[in-house]
Amino acid sequence: MTRPSPAAITGIGCICAAGRDLAAAMTSMAAGGRAPQPPVRFATGHPKRYPVFGVPDAFVPADLLGRTDLLLTTRFALAATRQALADAGWDAAALRAARVGVCLGTTVGSALNIEDFYREHRAGGEPDLEAIERFLRSNPAAAVSRELALDGPVQTVVNACSSGTDAIGIAASWLRAGACDVALAGGADELCRIIYNGFISLMITDEHPCRPFDRTRRGLNLGEGAAVLVLERPADAAARGARTRAKVLGYGSACDAHHLTAPHPEGRGLRRAFAEALATAGIAAGDVAFINAHGTATPDNDRVEGRVLHDLFPETPFVSTKGYTGHTLGAAGAIEAAFTVACLETGSIPGSVGFTEADPEINATPAAAPLTIRGDVAISDSLAFGGNNAVLVLGRGDR
Amino acid sequence: MTVKEQLKKIIIEGINLEEIRPEQIVDSAPLFGEGLGLDSLDAVELVVLIQKHFGIEIKDMEEGREAFRSIDSLAAFVEERRKG
Amino acid sequence: MSARAAVRGIGVAGGFGTGVAALRGALAGAPSGSAGQNAATGDAAGCRPADTASLADFVDRKALRRMDTISRLSILGASLALRDAGVERVDERMGVVLATGYGPSGTTLGFLDSFIESGDACSSPTLFSSSVHNAPAANLSTLLGVTGPNLSISQFEVSASSALLTATLWLAEGRVDRVLVGGVDEYGPVLGYCWRRLFGEPDAAGCHPLETRRQSARPGEGSAFLLLERPAGGTASEVVIETVRMGRVEGASAAAIPADRLLILGADGHRRCAAAYERLVPRGSAVTTLGHLWGSFPTATAFDAAAAVLLLQDGRTPEPPPGPADPERWHLPAAGEPLPAAGIGLLRVSGSGEYALTLMHRT
Repeated sequence: MTRPSPAAITGIGCICAAGRDLAAAMTSMAAGGRAPQPPVRFATGHPKRYPVFGVPDAFVPADLLGRTDLLLTTRFALAATRQALADAGWDAAALRAARVGVCLGTTVGSALNIEDFYREHRAGGEPDLEAIERFLRSNPAAAVSRELALDGPVQTVVNACSSGTDAIGIAASWLRAGACDVALAGGADELCRIIYNGFISLMITDEHPCRPFDRTRRGLNLGEGAAVLVLERPADAAARGARTRAKVLGYGSACDAHHLTAPHPEGRGLRRAFAEALATAGIAAGDVAFINAHGTATPDNDRVEGRVLHDLFPETPFVSTKGYTGHTLGAAGAIEAAFTVACLETGSIPGSVGFTEADPEINATPAAAPLTIRGDVAISDSLAFGGNNAVLVLGRGDR
Repeated sequence: MTVKEQLKKIIIEGINLEEIRPEQIVDSAPLFGEGLGLDSLDAVELVVLIQKHFGIEIKDMEEGREAFRSIDSLAAFVEERRKG
Repeated sequence: MSARAAVRGIGVAGGFGTGVAALRGALAGAPSGSAGQNAATGDAAGCRPADTASLADFVDRKALRRMDTISRLSILGASLALRDAGVERVDERMGVVLATGYGPSGTTLGFLDSFIESGDACSSPTLFSSSVHNAPAANLSTLLGVTGPNLSISQFEVSASSALLTATLWLAEGRVDRVLVGGVDEYGPVLGYCWRRLFGEPDAAGCHPLETRRQSARPGEGSAFLLLERPAGGTASEVVIETVRMGRVEGASAAAIPADRLLILGADGHRRCAAAYERLVPRGSAVTTLGHLWGSFPTATAFDAAAAVLLLQDGRTPEPPPGPADPERWHLPAAGEPLPAAGIGLLRVSGSGEYALTLMHRT
């Protein structure tokens, strides 16, 4: 396989429970605090209340928050896009004149999340069509492209928990192929009753704040948010005087083809994804400064992923940031790519909040406290329901 | 209907084992792995079915694991929890 | 970088039937392919269901235990494509790209039922895990043993085109040697209800795709897969997907849509999109539509692509669509005419103002 040329990341937007933007999230993660709460936007009849990492309304610009014609997921995506474009120095008019692709991952943004409509329909009523029409106009990538009047490829990736990572890898390939000149890549998802009910029914949620890779871990906490990266070809970024924050050096993905909800016990798809990512980046495991792991804190994920990390990267520090953000599903890979870039810039990774005691079954321990890292290359990986595994290799940009 | 008969019916309907008849399920045979061949996703579905049909809450899969070994163990579990 | 891909096999299951022979029959205007006939199930919205019974030829019934309609349709379409291509070995050098407009809608609503009826604590984990949009692709990979990259895409009318773009890029970059790429959508009573609320009852006259001032779309469902490889080149004739171009209808240049190909428009009787086709398509270019054969659903473009493969192999135009078409605006070739040398373009527009153009020809 040909070694692909890198894509430059010239702007980043990020909104999650940890912070209203990437800088705020990095600051709060460095301080190590977190405060997941039971959901506020909806109530459920479960005997227990499971904490979630919600995004406060105040984190979203008022004009976007008021766009009730769109799903919250889509409003998050637009807010992160706005941040990213400002960071990259792209103004709206210049963007419209270019060929701009949009590739976003989501779960809720594409789901038929129409509970009230459906309840009324089931009861024999004629519910208002607004929920349906909102769903039809809220496809995240389509909505971002439409709202900004962009001309170029558009793709909404619905690969569950690896969507955000996949979206970035795909967008980079668009640039190499000349399908567009700029790509907005990332992911977005919102907390909602359906997803909350679903994950609880699978018995993989924790009624306490989650404990990634910890011996006593009981499951994940859900989260929400969005992150969007502006990608360009390095020569184009240089030509317009933009600074490159980081580069997408490599991407790999593979399917376990094993089970709908459980990862392959030996992590076979994850190993393949790592191999492809390293090969496409042209690096070896020893070159990797750190890894932002998927680390959802479910017994299965952390055991499988931890073992693979131990086998392939025995000397490499890794962190799970899901203790600060919760599992943001379709947004996770993008939010974590954003964190990875910021960590490369600052030369340090936060501690994996929630981890205190190593699990002897895993044989790998994440960074428990903030750690200085040395090196120019890092990895973010994601494992999804259905057995999708995706790995992104990111490199330092301009200093 | 005995608890065991009820459980077999619930499992066949709730877990889409359309080809199996209740009399084909051996009371002492393993439900998971071999025997009926159910897997981890069926296990969490069974937790919900037990909740729905008997009102019994299983808090985690450690609690479920022993109970779910066979129809015999599941019936014993249900009967014991109903008393308490 | 050249992003071309050669089509080695096609697999289709739709309201018109299952397999290549049924597809040829539909294109030739066989009775089962005509608009206006309702399904045996007699759904008032007029959707002819796709039949998954022939899945038994490929997969053990027990393995399908937890699989809903859309997963079964996906596995069937993919299996048919593999068989059509004569491919038996699947491994990590094969990828899967699956496009779906609405995903597992039946199962999603079934999951809602589970907690509406029995309370939140009785939500069904099986229904939930099967309701996520990547479940059909995951089930496909698991049952067929495909361990390469796996991607699910969902964005309504341009889903299938977007999937073809990714599939061709994966091949061009050498990530895989083969890709199973397909579009799948299922129909259901709640979708039918929403359809009637949004568009009214389909009238008895049937689907007239180019009668652009009338709403005449009828819902459909089905699964259409292509098995793609890098072109072999050389002297043997291949049907090739050259590229997929996507953009915004508003502001699209006059040159965006080529005038030298047979354009298969995604017009399927929906008025909303009709104006966009009128705006984009160069006057005088040869056009046709096939949406009346499959019914209207987001990923029907995948069926257009499968049909285009057959048309390119035969080198002839299909039966023109039923219903009136303004002769000042549309040039509809008669059936059986030679195809233009430049080949075929599939053009689909979305309710969101995007268009997708897939260019195909025979070498």
